Amino acid sequence: MKKQMVAMLLAGGQGTRLKELTYTVAKPAIPFGGKYRIIDFPLSNCTNSEIHTVGVLTQYQPHLLHQYIGLGTPWDLDRRDGGVTMLPPYAEADGIKWYDGTANAIFQNMKFLEAHQPEYVLILSGDHIYKMNYMLMLDFHIKQQAAATISVIEVPWEEASRFGLMETDDQMQVTRFVEKPKDPKSNLASMGVYIFNYQKLKEYLARDAENEDSSHDFGKDIIPAMLEGNEKMAAYPYKGYWKDVGTVDSLWDANMDLLDLDSGLVLHDSAWRIFSSNPQLPPQVVTETCEIEESFINEGCIIEGKVRKSVISQDVHIKEGAEIDECVIMAGSVVGKGAKIRRAIITPDLDIPANFKLQKNDGAITLLTKETIENWEGSEDDAFSSSN
Amino acid sequence: MRLAAVIDATVTIPGLKELAMYRSSASIPFAGRYRLIDFALSNIVNSNINSVGVFASQQSVSLMDHIGKGKSWDLDRRRNGLYFLPTSQREGDQLSVGSFAALEDHLNFFNKSTQPHIVVTCAFSISQLDYNDMLEKHLASGADITEAVRDGECMKSYILSKELLMQMIKGFRENRVVSVEDVVNLKKKPYTFAQYEYEGYFVLINSMESYFNESMALLNEITWRQLFLPERPTYTKVKDEPPTKYMKGSNVKRSLVANGSLLEGEIRDSILSRAVEIGKNSKIEKCIIMQKCVIEENCDLLYVIADKDVRIKAGSVVHGTKEKPVVIRKGSIVSEGEEL
Repeated sequence: MKKQMVAMLLAGGQGTRLKELTYTVAKPAIPFGGKYRIIDFPLSNCTNSEIHTVGVLTQYQPHLLHQYIGLGTPWDLDRRDGGVTMLPPYAEADGIKWYDGTANAIFQNMKFLEAHQPEYVLILSGDHIYKMNYMLMLDFHIKQQAAATISVIEVPWEEASRFGLMETDDQMQVTRFVEKPKDPKSNLASMGVYIFNYQKLKEYLARDAENEDSSHDFGKDIIPAMLEGNEKMAAYPYKGYWKDVGTVDSLWDANMDLLDLDSGLVLHDSAWRIFSSNPQLPPQVVTETCEIEESFINEGCIIEGKVRKSVISQDVHIKEGAEIDECVIMAGSVVGKGAKIRRAIITPDLDIPANFKLQKNDGAITLLTKETIENWEGSEDDAFSSSN
Repeated sequence: MRLAAVIDATVTIPGLKELAMYRSSASIPFAGRYRLIDFALSNIVNSNINSVGVFASQQSVSLMDHIGKGKSWDLDRRRNGLYFLPTSQREGDQLSVGSFAALEDHLNFFNKSTQPHIVVTCAFSISQLDYNDMLEKHLASGADITEAVRDGECMKSYILSKELLMQMIKGFRENRVVSVEDVVNLKKKPYTFAQYEYEGYFVLINSMESYFNESMALLNEITWRQLFLPERPTYTKVKDEPPTKYMKGSNVKRSLVANGSLLEGEIRDSILSRAVEIGKNSKIEKCIIMQKCVIEENCDLLYVIADKDVRIKAGSVVHGTKEKPVVIRKGSIVSEGEEL
C-alpha cells in the first residue's frame, strides 16, 4: 500500500563512548529517565506524529532491541498494514552483507521501502532525546519544495565546532554543510533527522553505492553529494529540547534536565506522551526514614535512604542511611546501608555494598559498574574517596 | 489446562457505595495503581489459567474500560482468553459470590469451555492464592467443592467441577440457593465439602473500614512485600505515565506512590494513585488520593479519600477521622471553606 511517509530508524550503533553501558546492548536500548530507553523517544515521536510505518535498522547487539520492540505494541505500532519492522542485516545468495555506514544500511533495505512506495522517507537515529512532530517538518519540506530537508537546532557558538553544521540563506536553503569545523560560520547543527523525497533518495543511494571512495554516510556523503548535484536542500529550524546522549556526561546531563524546570524537557505531558514497554511493578514505597529532594522515581522502588537530585529507575532499593546525590540509577540496583554516592550513573542490577563511598569533588561523572564495585577497597582511603 | 475461572464481578461491597457510584465495585481503585479486580485476574494468570469469564453487573463501563480484552494480563488470545460477560444483575442485588442468576445469563461460557474444573472467585478478596495447588488438594480430597480459607476465614474462592457447577446453575431456584458461596455456607446436601488452607497475604475488602485500613496497612513495607511478590506480579492496565517527580520543597514520608505524579507538598502515611498533583505547602496525611486528583497549594487534608479527578482548591482544609474518613466523590471540586 502506498504511504505518504515511512520512517527509517537507524538503531545499529554501538556508542562506544558510553563504555560499559553498551557492552551488551546497542546504544538506542540504553535506559533513560528512570523508565525509558533512548529509542522510546523517536518511536513515540513517530506514533505522536501519526507515522505508522517504521523500519528499525539494527546490527550491533540486536537481541534486546528486537525483544524490547517486539510487535511495537507499546507505541501502537502493531498495525495490520505497516507498523514496525525490524531490519537486521541479512544474507543473500552471494553472502551476508553487514551494514557499512548509515546510507548503506538504508540502501540494503530498498526492498522494504519499495514495498511501501512512500513519497517521503524520514531518516532518524536512536541516539537523541527530544520530542518532535515530524509532520510539521514534512509540511515545511513540502512548502520548501526541497529534495531533502535536514532538521537543525541552534547550538551555542562555543560548542558549534562539535557538530555537523548547516550554512543557510535567508530562505533556510542549505548552501553548505560542514562537519565539525574549527572555525564555525553557522550555529545550526544537524539533528540527524532527515526527510528525503523518496525518488531522490533512491537515486543518490544507488549512486553512492557505486562509489568506492564513499563511507556511505548520510552526513559525510549523501548530503554533500546532493548539494553538489544542486538539489534543493532545506534546513528545518527545530525549536525545543534536543540532546545527543552519546557520552556518559551527556547521558547524565540529559537525565538531570528532567529535574530542571527550565531545561525544556518535560515528560509529564499527556499531549505528547513518551511510550515505553511498561514492566508491571507495584507503586514505590517511601519509608519513614527516607528524605527525597528534587528527584524522579519510578515504580517498584523502595526508598529508605536519602535521595537528592537523582533519577531512579524501576525496582531500585535504596537502603536506610544510604545517600544518593546527583545520580542516575538504572533498574534493579540495590544501594546498601550507609553507602554514599555522588555524581554517578549506576548501571542496571548492581548490588552496591553497605558503606560504599564514591564522592568525587572534581565534578566528573562516574559510570559505576560491577568492576568499580569489585575494585573497591572498602576503606576510608580507597581510590574513589581520596579526592575528598 | 484443567481450570477455567469465573470472576463474579456482580457482587456489591456494602459500605463502598460512595466509591462505586460511577463504577462497578470490582473497579474500585486500590493500592495506588490498581483496581480491585486486578488482584483476582493476576492470581488467575499467575496460576496459568487462561480461560476467564468476568461476569459483570449492569454498571460495567469502567470495568470494561479497565480490563478491555485482557491484554495486560496476557489474556487476549485466539483460543480461550478473557470473556467479558455482562449480566442482567444490578449493583446492590447481589451480596454473595458465584451468583447463579448471573452465571445463568452465560451458560454458553461453560458449554464452550473445555476445562473440567472451575475456579469461582470475586474481586474483593485480595490474596496470592495459587489455584493450581488448590486444585491438586481439591482433587486429592475427593470433595465436590473446595473453599479456600486462611486461619479459618473464608476467602470467597472456590473450586468445583464444571459439570457440578452447571447442575447447580440449572437447579438453583428449585434448591432454594442463590450462589456458590451460599451452597458452601449452608453445607447443602448432598454435596461434600473440603477446605484449602492458604498462608500468605489475604484481605477481604467488605466495608469502608476494611478498605481504608487495608490500604493503609500497605504502607508497612513488610505487608507491601507480602502482597507484591516479584515471582507473582500484579498486573494492571498500562498507562504510560512517567516516573513520579518529587519537586523542590516536597517532603514525602511513609507513603505508597504510583507513577506520573508531581509532588510539592508534605505527604505522610498516604497512598497516591497515578498522575496526582500535590501543590506547594499542602499537607496530606493519612489520605488515599486517587488518579488524576489535583490538590492545589496550602491545603490541609487528614483522613480523606479523594476519588478520581477530584480537585481541591487552594487553602482548603478537609479533616476526617480514622473511624470515618471523608470521601470526596469522583470529579468533585472542593473550595476553601466548603463544608463536607
